[in-house]
Amino acid sequence: MKIMRIAGVSLSAVAKHKVRTFLIVLAIVVGIATLTVIVALTQGANKKILQQINNFGPDAIMIHSGGGRLRGPSTVSEASLTKKDIADIRDIEEVKLVSPFQVSLDMPVKYKNKFTTSWVFGVESSWQDAWRRGVSKGDFISDADNEQLSKVCVIGRTAAKDLFGDADPIGENILIENVSFNVIGILEKRGQSPVGTDFDNLILIPFTTASRRLMNQPLYIAMARAVVFNPARIKTVIAKIEGILRENHRLAQTEEDDFRMTSPEEITKMIKGTSQTLDVFLWLVGLISPFVSGIVLMNIMLMAVSERKREIGLRRAVGAKKKHIIFQFLSESLVLTFAGGLFGVTAGVIIAVLISLSGKPISITWQPFATAFLFSAVIGLFFGIYPARKAAALDPASALSQK
Amino acid sequence: MIEFNDITKFFTSGIVRTDVLNGVTFKVNKGEFAAIMAPSGTGKTTLLNVLGCLMKASGGSYLFEGQDIETLNDDQLSEIRNKKIGFVFQTFNLLERTSALDNVLLPLVYSDVYPADAEKKAGRLIESVGLKDRINYKPNELSGGQQQRVAIARALINDPSVILADEPTGNLDSNSAKEIMEIFRILHKEGRTIIIVTHDINVARSSDRIIYLKDGKVEKEEVL
Repeated sequence: MKIMRIAGVSLSAVAKHKVRTFLIVLAIVVGIATLTVIVALTQGANKKILQQINNFGPDAIMIHSGGGRLRGPSTVSEASLTKKDIADIRDIEEVKLVSPFQVSLDMPVKYKNKFTTSWVFGVESSWQDAWRRGVSKGDFISDADNEQLSKVCVIGRTAAKDLFGDADPIGENILIENVSFNVIGILEKRGQSPVGTDFDNLILIPFTTASRRLMNQPLYIAMARAVVFNPARIKTVIAKIEGILRENHRLAQTEEDDFRMTSPEEITKMIKGTSQTLDVFLWLVGLISPFVSGIVLMNIMLMAVSERKREIGLRRAVGAKKKHIIFQFLSESLVLTFAGGLFGVTAGVIIAVLISLSGKPISITWQPFATAFLFSAVIGLFFGIYPARKAAALDPASALSQK
Repeated sequence: MIEFNDITKFFTSGIVRTDVLNGVTFKVNKGEFAAIMAPSGTGKTTLLNVLGCLMKASGGSYLFEGQDIETLNDDQLSEIRNKKIGFVFQTFNLLERTSALDNVLLPLVYSDVYPADAEKKAGRLIESVGLKDRINYKPNELSGGQQQRVAIARALINDPSVILADEPTGNLDSNSAKEIMEIFRILHKEGRTIIIVTHDINVARSSDRIIYLKDGKVEKEEVL
């Protein structure tokens, strides 16, 4: 086929002009590798954000007692949530469950001669469903534990490691603020929170025990986690909870909320807000560098056209039509950009993997490959068409007479 | 088979008009070996470009095997050049870094049909110009005379109606020049139509008929 023969001409030209081929491929490699690395990095970051939102729970609302503070549990003096509030929220039809808990940050914990500080939560058994997190070993805190104000606890991995090393903590007694608790279970691993809190450095004790024996907070509740049936309805539920709490707390219209709520949406905003500017910048660099590669390609191809005028004139003299010349030069550009794309993606993946060794999250999926190939094709076509057309437009008679 | 009737050609550069061909009229018949004798600066190159369908005339009519060339578009001219004309240039115009065989096959790249025995045919042509053992040599490994022989083989690959040679011996020493002209004479004997454009009277004298060009017109014709 004629088209295959002309493509063959292009391939042999690529093979014969080694310096030119090397320079163009190098330019494309740099551009495509940059793009690949950036895609891998931003995708990795997005994947991490999604993971963190899932950790938080896309169907969950955190209700904090006390207003004002941006994140984290409120201090005890701001406590405002009551048992009635929880019961009323539980009655909202969209709400699947509500799990109240008490929190005390950085409590001193001791086992034999080892000390650590840990977040201590007073929880009900519903905590497991609210956080979709149970024990990996032993038992969770039961309703009976809550009724009897039992001094038992379930500990997270980090706290367990700090106190017990590799030994089995179950059945041992630890001291939390000089009150002795018996370890009955170990929590499933969860990792870090969206804001970098270690979700494994915590100790759970019965809600009632925490309220009365440890935190001296018998009337109020620090926080609660509400889970809805349908995440799409989360805004409505937040509005309903707000109404209930303002009414229960008898807040006048001019008064500010004495509670605060955190939804997955806010968490997303919080995380994305910081990384968005950087993302835009990265994408700009990522898109500009293949563009620069394209300009290099066009430049070198234009030089090639001007160097090969006689060849073009000869081809025209022996019967090449304009479209054959366009096809020849365009396929040269495409072969070079595809080769550049292939090596560029490979280089990009290697660089991304090297970057990930430093702890940055990356994601390598088929998309960077597809993007890179698409981009190299677009570069080849977009920046190759002008030199190719210029070659074809040469007057055969004067092209032949070129020295 | 080639009929130039009052062909004119002028070029304009800005408002300056240069008339190069001022009504050229001649005929070349099938199987003829004709020379167009044109000293430098008499429109030799322009005449050759029009004759070779590399550019169109400004006026007059050019019939090639009865076909009016002036009515054809760029693609159709390309096809005529591909199928009907075999070019031999003063500077050989072989593709660098490309074997003699591939140079000879070049016109077939742009042919609608690529004969199954194309390489054999190219091989035979290279053999017939005396380069059997140089078939895979590249131009820079061949002498001028050898390069011109490859160019002649290339001109023949599509069995053209006419071979159009532009100063074919202009860049060769006298021995090589003689050999090349000998090849043209053999091709003529085989029945091919050959037109040589030259300013060298000795080259022109190898032909059957000389058409003298002067000041963009045919001055006289001389049958040898």
